[in-house]
Amino acid sequence: MIDIGFLEVAIAICLMILAIILARWQRTGTEKELAIGTVRSFVQLVAVGYALEFIFGMENFFAIIGTMVVMMMVGAYTAGKRAVNIKNGSVISFIAIFTGSLVTLGLMLGLGIIKAKAQYMIPLGGMIIGNSMNCSALVMERLYSDISGNKLAIETSLSLGKSWQDASRTYFQRAIKAGMMHMLNFFKTVGLVALPGAMTGMILAGASPLKAVLIQIIVGYMLTAAVTVAGIVAAQLAIRQMFTTHHQLKL
Amino acid sequence: MDGAHVTTPDAILDIKGLNRSVLVKPGAKRIIIDDFNFSFSEGQIYTIVGPSGSGKSSLLRLLNRLDERDDGEIIFQGESIDSIPVQALREKIALVFQMPYVFPGTVESNLLYSRSKKHENERNELIDLLNRVGLDEMYLPRNPENLSLGQQQRVALARSLSMEPEILLLDEPTSALDPGASRTIEELLTNLNQTMNLTLIIVTHNFRQALRLGGISLVLIDGRIIEAGPTKELFENPANEQTRKFIAGELR
Repeated sequence: MIDIGFLEVAIAICLMILAIILARWQRTGTEKELAIGTVRSFVQLVAVGYALEFIFGMENFFAIIGTMVVMMMVGAYTAGKRAVNIKNGSVISFIAIFTGSLVTLGLMLGLGIIKAKAQYMIPLGGMIIGNSMNCSALVMERLYSDISGNKLAIETSLSLGKSWQDASRTYFQRAIKAGMMHMLNFFKTVGLVALPGAMTGMILAGASPLKAVLIQIIVGYMLTAAVTVAGIVAAQLAIRQMFTTHHQLKL
Repeated sequence: MDGAHVTTPDAILDIKGLNRSVLVKPGAKRIIIDDFNFSFSEGQIYTIVGPSGSGKSSLLRLLNRLDERDDGEIIFQGESIDSIPVQALREKIALVFQMPYVFPGTVESNLLYSRSKKHENERNELIDLLNRVGLDEMYLPRNPENLSLGQQQRVALARSLSMEPEILLLDEPTSALDPGASRTIEELLTNLNQTMNLTLIIVTHNFRQALRLGGISLVLIDGRIIEAGPTKELFENPANEQTRKFIAGELR
């Protein structure tokens, strides 16, 4: 494997300069965004790289947990902002992301598949948190739009003596499905159309393809489990804000 | 108790000091139902008339607890509705909406939708329900989404009747229908009242419809009863100026 340093990155930037020149020549109107994006991603990723080097260097369990909690808070805030119509959306997302991460990482640690080291916890945690964040935002948005858009159907159900759980079951299921669609589609095309990121990265770093595939499978199952837990938690908490215990729709 | 309020001995639904308001924006309340007192007798037809926004629909939603009242008492067959499980209450005090909603499937699955218990001779019971709303067994396998609105409203009516309610609340049941279908529903309702001794409380913004339905009318304006009495007398000889204006079409 070639030893990668800042020199190699500087050469790679030439590709971006080429892309910007091309965009300008063809007047695509994207050259400004490309330039800003190049600088921005460079700064952000290098900063994260140094931060992770620092945390990895400490090899302190509480530093790992602290980092993950910060990541969860940022993720929860982002998801909450996307689901504007859900009260306390950020709090709900935090609980959802936290539960999803705790269950899956806890199980992996308990079964001895991974160790409580920054090398495993931070990248896996990052993937879990990112995917759970997307899922809980999608679930909450879909739940609100479906339930507020089907008031007549729901209240007809309630008026026929159904519980709020029965009256809203279809919309609950649809929301969970919407949140997990990305994961379910991933299963269909993985390896055929797209080579997943973790696997590609390992192969580039010199690991054997079979080993990279095995790790990717574990990562895929773990992400799906985490997203399932997060989606269900987010849906259960969000839907409880839309009904009263007396089977009344509050929207 | 309120001195003006008299409980009739055959009252099926007794309402005292009912209030409901909603928060329009933080700190700003709008009163929807304002100190509503009335005693509904068993087996009677009631129409609640009044201009739009007067609180008619909101009143019905309080009676089957789709919405929660702020205060006041609602006594159903001598018992506060708070002591009856909500789901059981809604089977006893059934609500039919202005716009019929039919569940995807068949007319049969719609009629079975509300029932938790399975009956023997199910099919005969379903046919009987359809007959009561002027439809026949040919409709059982049909997709209700393909029926006309008037027929859908009849399916919705039969679906509510399947719960064997004591009181049927109807929220503008014909305002989404054409005049012909409206008349059919009106006739079905008076028929149900007579044959099953079913108590009907019907909200309408159309006082001519109230006249056709007969019974007793309550005129509701700004969440308050301003006049109540036998429908014919009330509209022929309104005691209240606002009732007169409403009949003359000056209040909308």
